[in-house]
Amino acid sequence: MITIHCSNRTVQSFFIEVEVSQPLYIGGVPTRDLYLEKRPVEGYLYINGVRAKELSGGARYQLIEPTLFGYFDEICQLFTGNADIDIDDESYLPVSIQVNGKRIFKIERTGTVFSMSTELGLDDIRHISSRVESVFKVKIIPLLRSVGLYG
Amino acid sequence: MVRWELVKFKVERVSEGVFNSVINFETEILIPETRKAIVVIYDGRQFTIGGSELKQEYLVYEIKSKLERLLESSLIRELSKHSRKAEYRRGFSLRKIGVYAEGTLANLRYVYNDKFLEFGSVLIIPPYKDWNKLCKVPLTVETNAVSNIKSFYELLSEICRSAMRVHFEVITVNEILKLIGV
Repeated sequence: MITIHCSNRTVQSFFIEVEVSQPLYIGGVPTRDLYLEKRPVEGYLYINGVRAKELSGGARYQLIEPTLFGYFDEICQLFTGNADIDIDDESYLPVSIQVNGKRIFKIERTGTVFSMSTELGLDDIRHISSRVESVFKVKIIPLLRSVGLYG
Repeated sequence: MVRWELVKFKVERVSEGVFNSVINFETEILIPETRKAIVVIYDGRQFTIGGSELKQEYLVYEIKSKLERLLESSLIRELSKHSRKAEYRRGFSLRKIGVYAEGTLANLRYVYNDKFLEFGSVLIIPPYKDWNKLCKVPLTVETNAVSNIKSFYELLSEICRSAMRVHFEVITVNEILKLIGV
């Protein structure tokens, strides 16, 4: 699951779990399972809790930070106020959206049954979802892949 | 107080083999003033309204053809793509029917074999004036026809692509109720 927290159309924090084929050495340990995050207020990328620029080859991670955060801002621009978005990490489609503490969209799975509830119309949900999916597939994932942080 | 309330509306076609299928239909209307319920049943042979057989053949034919139209819904066809078994059942029904100030709201439930798709609340009586409204109002959707988020989203898109047909299905429900005489 990918989580994003937005405030006033700007990304405050995000959290993504990824698996990479070429391990990163974190604390001297080769690591393939990574979690990438931006913490609230701070304008840096963290990888498994370590500031990305402090890792071996960290300069290239630091280089992508503004562009990466800008891509998340593109998602946040879809929402006014405070928004929390949970995104399926296989399809890059939202499964939950909460705006100003109120849940406006949620997909749940119980056994074989999928259920969805929305306070918006399906047209709005489809618009938001296709935008989120497109930002991930066309921008965020290729950028992460270009520096070895994806795939 | 409303003159009558819709309590149940369910049509189903059960198939045994390619050439043998039976349509079953049941609807229930409540008259709040008298607290009396009128049950309409079609079992594939006989059409009864409140226990009395409907004998006008043209009326039976017209209701039956409208019921069949409901069973030809594009959403049932969509569900069939997710079933690997040969068809043995398809259905259309209204669930969670409620009477509110704006009219009668209900969930629309489509069934193909063991797969279902249900969404609502949709304004049934009177139908939305604008067919496009279906995807502009809050909805809940439930299905067991998909296996992942991506295909669930595709089904959500299919609901919106079918909005005009859904609108006509709601109109068909109203027409059937009128033919029954409510």
